[in-house]
Amino acid sequence: MLRGAIVLAAAAALLLVGFPLAELFGAAGSQGLAAVAGAFHGTAAARAVATTLLTGGVVTVLAVLGGTAAALATERGAPRGRSWLRGAVLLPLVVPPFVAALSWGQAYGPAGLVDDLLGLELPGVYGLAGVVTVLTVHAVPLVYLVVAAALASRAEPDLERAARSSGASAATAFRTVTLPLLRPAIIAGAALAFVTTVNAFGVPAVLGTPAGVTTVTTRIYSDLVFAADPEAFTRVLVLASGLVLLTLSVVGAADVRDALGSGLTRTGAPLGGAVPGGPRWPGAVLWTYALATSVLPLLALVLVGITRALGLAPVPANWTLGHFRTAVGGLGGPALVRSLLLAMAAATTVLLLGALLTALRRQRGGKPLATMATLTFAVPGSALAVAVLLAYGPWLRDTLALILIAYLAKFWALGHRTIAGAAGRQPPELAWAARASGAGPATTVRTITIPLLLPALAGAWLVVFLFGLHEVTMSSLLYGPGSETLAVVILNLRQLGDVPVTAALAVLLTGLVLLGTALLSAASRTSRRLTTHQDGA
Amino acid sequence: MTSALTLRELTVAYGSEPVVRGVSLQVAPDEVVALLGPSGSGKSTLLAAVAGFIEPREGQVLLRGEVVSGPGHSVPPEDRDVAVVFQHYALWPHLTAAETVAYPLRRRGVGAGEARRAATALLARVGLGELAGRRPAELSGGQQQRVGLARALAREPSLYLFDEPTAHLDTALRASLTEELSEQRRLRGAAALYATHDAAEALAVADQVVLLREGRIAQIGRPAEVYEEPSDLWSAALTGPASVLDIPAGEAVSGKVTLRVGEETVRVPGGSAAGLRPADGAVLVRPEWAGLGGRLSGVVRQVRYRGPYTDYRLRTPAGTVDVRGAGTPSVAVGDAVTWDLQRVWISARS
Repeated sequence: MLRGAIVLAAAAALLLVGFPLAELFGAAGSQGLAAVAGAFHGTAAARAVATTLLTGGVVTVLAVLGGTAAALATERGAPRGRSWLRGAVLLPLVVPPFVAALSWGQAYGPAGLVDDLLGLELPGVYGLAGVVTVLTVHAVPLVYLVVAAALASRAEPDLERAARSSGASAATAFRTVTLPLLRPAIIAGAALAFVTTVNAFGVPAVLGTPAGVTTVTTRIYSDLVFAADPEAFTRVLVLASGLVLLTLSVVGAADVRDALGSGLTRTGAPLGGAVPGGPRWPGAVLWTYALATSVLPLLALVLVGITRALGLAPVPANWTLGHFRTAVGGLGGPALVRSLLLAMAAATTVLLLGALLTALRRQRGGKPLATMATLTFAVPGSALAVAVLLAYGPWLRDTLALILIAYLAKFWALGHRTIAGAAGRQPPELAWAARASGAGPATTVRTITIPLLLPALAGAWLVVFLFGLHEVTMSSLLYGPGSETLAVVILNLRQLGDVPVTAALAVLLTGLVLLGTALLSAASRTSRRLTTHQDGA
Repeated sequence: MTSALTLRELTVAYGSEPVVRGVSLQVAPDEVVALLGPSGSGKSTLLAAVAGFIEPREGQVLLRGEVVSGPGHSVPPEDRDVAVVFQHYALWPHLTAAETVAYPLRRRGVGAGEARRAATALLARVGLGELAGRRPAELSGGQQQRVGLARALAREPSLYLFDEPTAHLDTALRASLTEELSEQRRLRGAAALYATHDAAEALAVADQVVLLREGRIAQIGRPAEVYEEPSDLWSAALTGPASVLDIPAGEAVSGKVTLRVGEETVRVPGGSAAGLRPADGAVLVRPEWAGLGGRLSGVVRQVRYRGPYTDYRLRTPAGTVDVRGAGTPSVAVGDAVTWDLQRVWISARS
């Protein structure tokens, strides 16, 4: 029976990821040098590659600085409302990136909220500067998560205190103790930020494309969706495989697997945690940052969505729910249903696959499979979509099933990580105690292991559901007539220029995602409470 | 002579909840003071305030007569003349044992080569000469704490702060490490504040023992005083086993206490806590203050052989009493026996 399970998991990995990627690399490899040279003739495609690398580099540097500083402020300083502040820093992570881009346009772009109120308009929101800024805002929490976790678990306050009472000043203690201990986390955070940035599609599509700024992902999109010549297809294949190789080698080099799995675990703070009475200004700076980068833009988007017409003052007298009615009544309603169905199907399937892999954890063959599932999350959505299209397009073109396959390939890692993390935290003694109390292996799993994992299983389902709900990169490459997802409809509406209805749909989507995230955080708190060792010290 | 450490009405709080409440204390140079209390009694917090890791809300900390913590004034930890040995060792995972011990020397401006030589010598003194090149992950708990001790020694402070240094070690290791700590400190002739929840450890290492209860000092005195003359039942239970006799004390005059046990009136050495009317107090008996044989009667309920001695639990006219006898058990459960008191102490009930 176990062998059957391993075969099943291996087959799933092969069909979802292995076969499509093999098709992609095969197709790219068979293009021939002449075809590739022809496809990259001229500077446009090369400029897209340069823009992507430049964006990735700049965003990574900014995100590492910002994320590390934010982690130090919340974990070592004494900010007001620490747990709320943590949530505010993490907020950009749960707002779909293309919605964040839309909201920045509405807040700081021409005729945006700040323009209306103060007559201020940030130059270059539509353009490279805007793309870099919004991608940085999205990448900061990634670095923050990893570094804050390391500050809590690896660089315990006692280690810095030991340095201080050995005669080191605060700055010396930071340089000789804290920073060396954080180095692996910072490297992992940088790799995550870089990979996420070069893989990003929604933000450059919303803020870059209108200003003529093209990245690898938006180039793949325009070549695949709008161009019909064979050179465009060659470019798609080469860019997609190049992106896969780039991201996998960055992830492999930085070995982010451990960092990915760790999340925010606290070891408890001996001697009472942060020093009370530390400076408060870092917290104030962080609050201002969170308000300006997340809260204000989202507010602008909401106001656009509920104000009768563009150009009217966003005051209660001009408020209406009309745009929401139009949005749901038009293409939005059916697309919302499709997105919900897709997300639920993906979440349920991933849950089963994740549970299967967790059960195989200690079996031969289980570990490589788990590693593979984790790495697939780093494969760029654009490239994965192209690969899935090559592999299954001939049979499933323009169907929801095609999109579902891409979702499963991409999000398997997410669900697996959540489940395996919780299973790993569960002390083996709990199962041993059940066995020693007379329970057989199956009874132990049913009465002890599974009940304790339930919150984690619910969390895994919800994570995949949320990502599936707002996914845009793959669905915009794979959709056909009748299989548009909600995110695709929002992007297309925006291209047609229907700003208030776009905003209404984006608000609807974000509201659903935030609601789900609230549920998720409740589930993960329960999960940690149930599976963390209590040593009472 | 200036005290190594003086605390004046020290109050330390996390948020609004005070953890140390109005503690005043003096530690003479070359004196070891043990802070004895259950977990949550404020021991670690008090040490953290002395080390300068947290700022007190009220009161003062003085090191060698100089105010280092006071209202609106705080000397940072690196400028205080103290060294800390941490409960969880607090060894830096990225440094070897030698680099760890050299760290305080380097901060003091000692050159790299000399610091390395001095660190190796210190490690040899705590029995780790062979392991100087290892990182914490490659050392056992006892070895890790020896590295922590060597790091503190390298600091050459006038006051050591020990924060339950043996709490995470096996019993056998615990004894040898405790000995090592006291010996090394004695050689250096520095004062020490030693936090522990283990009464035997506190009584063995300290010149003075401070009993901490919910952030307040419950009792303070020499080890023999806090053990033999506990001020109340809580202090008595914290410092060791004791039975409470189910009878009132008659009177306590000139070092003798009169009691009525069943039909017998006994007059034994003892006394009562200051300011306490014997009739209001609880009559305490430590197991070694009573023994089998004598004019009192009882029935054996339980026999516990503990190696060097045996504890017997007796049912007597004065309630349940634990008495101790040397060697192996001499009577069995159910036997009617006689017993006697050598000493009692009358302490407050709460």
